[in-house]
Amino acid sequence: MIRTKGWRSIAIALAMLAVIVAAIYLVPRLRTKGPAEVQKVSEEMRAVTIFFGNKSADGFVSETREVPVAQGFEDQVKLVLAELIKGSRDSDKISAMPDSTALIQVFWVEDTQTLVLDFNNALVANHPGGSAGEYYTISNVVKTVSANFPQVARVQFLVEGNQVESIAGHYAVDKPIDVKKWR
Amino acid sequence: MTVRPGSFAFVALVCAVFLPCTPRVAPAAAAGKSLGVVYADGRQTEDVALAKLDKDSDELFVSAYDLARIFKATKFWNPDNRKLVLRIGNHRYMLTLDTRVVVVDETPVLLRMNVRFDEGSIMIPLEFIEGVLAPRSVEKIALDRTRLLLSIGSPEYNLTGIEIVDDKDGTRALLTLTDELLYHIDSDTPGILRLKIYGGRLNPLKFTMPEGKGLLNRVRAEQVEQDAYLFFDVKKTVLRYRVEFEGEEAASAAATGKKAPRKLVLFLERAKLPEIPGADFAGKKMVEMLDEGAKRKMIEPVRRIAVDPGHGGSDNGRMSSSGVKEKDVNLAIALMLRDRLKEELGVDVVMTRTEDVLVPLDERVEKANAAGAQLFVSIHCNGWFTSDAEGFEVFFLAPARNEEEARLGRDENASVSYEKQNASEESGGDIDFILWDMVQNEYLTESSDLAEMVQREMGTSLGIRNRGVKQTGLRVLKGLKMPGVLIEAAFLSNPKEEQLLLSPEFRERFIESAIEAIRKFQGRYPGKG
Repeated sequence: MIRTKGWRSIAIALAMLAVIVAAIYLVPRLRTKGPAEVQKVSEEMRAVTIFFGNKSADGFVSETREVPVAQGFEDQVKLVLAELIKGSRDSDKISAMPDSTALIQVFWVEDTQTLVLDFNNALVANHPGGSAGEYYTISNVVKTVSANFPQVARVQFLVEGNQVESIAGHYAVDKPIDVKKWR
Repeated sequence: MTVRPGSFAFVALVCAVFLPCTPRVAPAAAAGKSLGVVYADGRQTEDVALAKLDKDSDELFVSAYDLARIFKATKFWNPDNRKLVLRIGNHRYMLTLDTRVVVVDETPVLLRMNVRFDEGSIMIPLEFIEGVLAPRSVEKIALDRTRLLLSIGSPEYNLTGIEIVDDKDGTRALLTLTDELLYHIDSDTPGILRLKIYGGRLNPLKFTMPEGKGLLNRVRAEQVEQDAYLFFDVKKTVLRYRVEFEGEEAASAAATGKKAPRKLVLFLERAKLPEIPGADFAGKKMVEMLDEGAKRKMIEPVRRIAVDPGHGGSDNGRMSSSGVKEKDVNLAIALMLRDRLKEELGVDVVMTRTEDVLVPLDERVEKANAAGAQLFVSIHCNGWFTSDAEGFEVFFLAPARNEEEARLGRDENASVSYEKQNASEESGGDIDFILWDMVQNEYLTESSDLAEMVQREMGTSLGIRNRGVKQTGLRVLKGLKMPGVLIEAAFLSNPKEEQLLLSPEFRERFIESAIEAIRKFQGRYPGKG
């Protein structure tokens, strides 16, 4: 009995270990690549422009950054927006991205020139609120995208794969935003 | 020459930097000249004092303090070797007091005049901006010495030209726009027509005309944040005016998606004796010139007003650091506004919520529409990521925000008019075919007027920064069958303004100015429906 019980616990432990190993191995591969996992094929860098809000929320301030040249367009967008999310060291440049915001996936819809940005729930859940805050959250993304990727005509925000009516209750983001018309 | 961080020289330099560069007015007052600075990055246009320091030369000097602020320079001052270092963009400029030498990165260049020390300030000749900064700047720097105007940054202008034409009927100012933009014109200041172009970006140097033509005395242009303003100083002999896009009838061609430059025309009609009663302009929107602002007859005042306290229920809106919830402040102010509107204007008030409940944005609009309200006022408090932002602002809805919606609207409207032609006279309900955006566009002029009125009243009475009128695609204003505005009273993220928002005195001033604005609006518009 005791012997069987011992084997059983060893078997369970082994099975659990196998699951953990499989998870460690598979999960990153099943998930879409996050900014950190974007493959860098070369050390080539590209200068990009990131738009922030200023301290008094009444204008934009830009910053030029160097990011690695990514293999695909979607990966490049991720690298650029990761810089916006990271924010600036300059205290007058406010990244209006709520705490812990992350860009989960990026899709490019060629025929409608729509860039679909799928953020995590922090974009909505951690948004501090206020129409100025919300305006710059949307604008910083839209302006940064349009400054670096002129082929993008529309930006669609998603939150964990779903359309949301708005980020903080003032601006509609359920439909794609026309980057030229947005202001 | 190189200063390493951590070295004594570096510390001395950093510590000393602000001392000699404190602001001052004295030398400029002596010269009485100032430099108008126009920014493209959203900063307010400003006047900077200039000084003439050399009796043998006309060269004007600007203080290092002002210069550093204008160009967002990081500045270092070393009193021991009297050197000033300005870091602007990717360049480092080292100037030495009482010399003409400027070392740009590693290369020395010469100015015609020395850098001076005058009344406690380091004074730099304007030549430095023109000859040294401008050629090395990524941003476009333009110094107009005759008008003493400096413009920084070259945004993509969408207002590209102005032309004045005068003939026997009157004077036309033709503005070239690359995009069809919404505008607002008023004559609230006697003799001045103020044309505001929402989202307009212009080079004020190009649009400011000290000498006009015909009925125009002069034109002054300003870029205030996102919007362009043109001030037309007109002669007394102007009978009336109108503004419209040239070839308005042909505008439907725009549906093809072709983007051609449009001309926005301000027409000033010359008063004639004997007066021909506007025969040439039948059916056009001509506005009579009035001496005392826009006084219009009150025919049928606004009788029902919808008041919308923003957020509610599970949606707190903004929360201040001390835990004050925007939804509660909005509701308290809105309820107070309701009572006072009833009392002072004798109007009906429809509330979109009177309790702490969540009402979807669509439902708020529906409530106001169903109640047949003739005005919609949404009350909010603002919020920002830091405590720095301050002031109030007033919003109204932008026209169809994305191309698809606009196109859909046009298509649907085309089909409506087609159906109308083929159906009997009684075929009603065509409004259902028009996108909500298009409905709201009908009230753009009224909404922008109301927004301007609210802004003006609050600007004089609230005592906080006036962030102006803004036109955006706010969700809660979409689909309203009436003019509507949203007021962001002040910033809950700013502790000083949070206190104001909680104070009865500030709330009183807010309510009073809102009521005053609505009263003025009632005077100007008879009300729809």
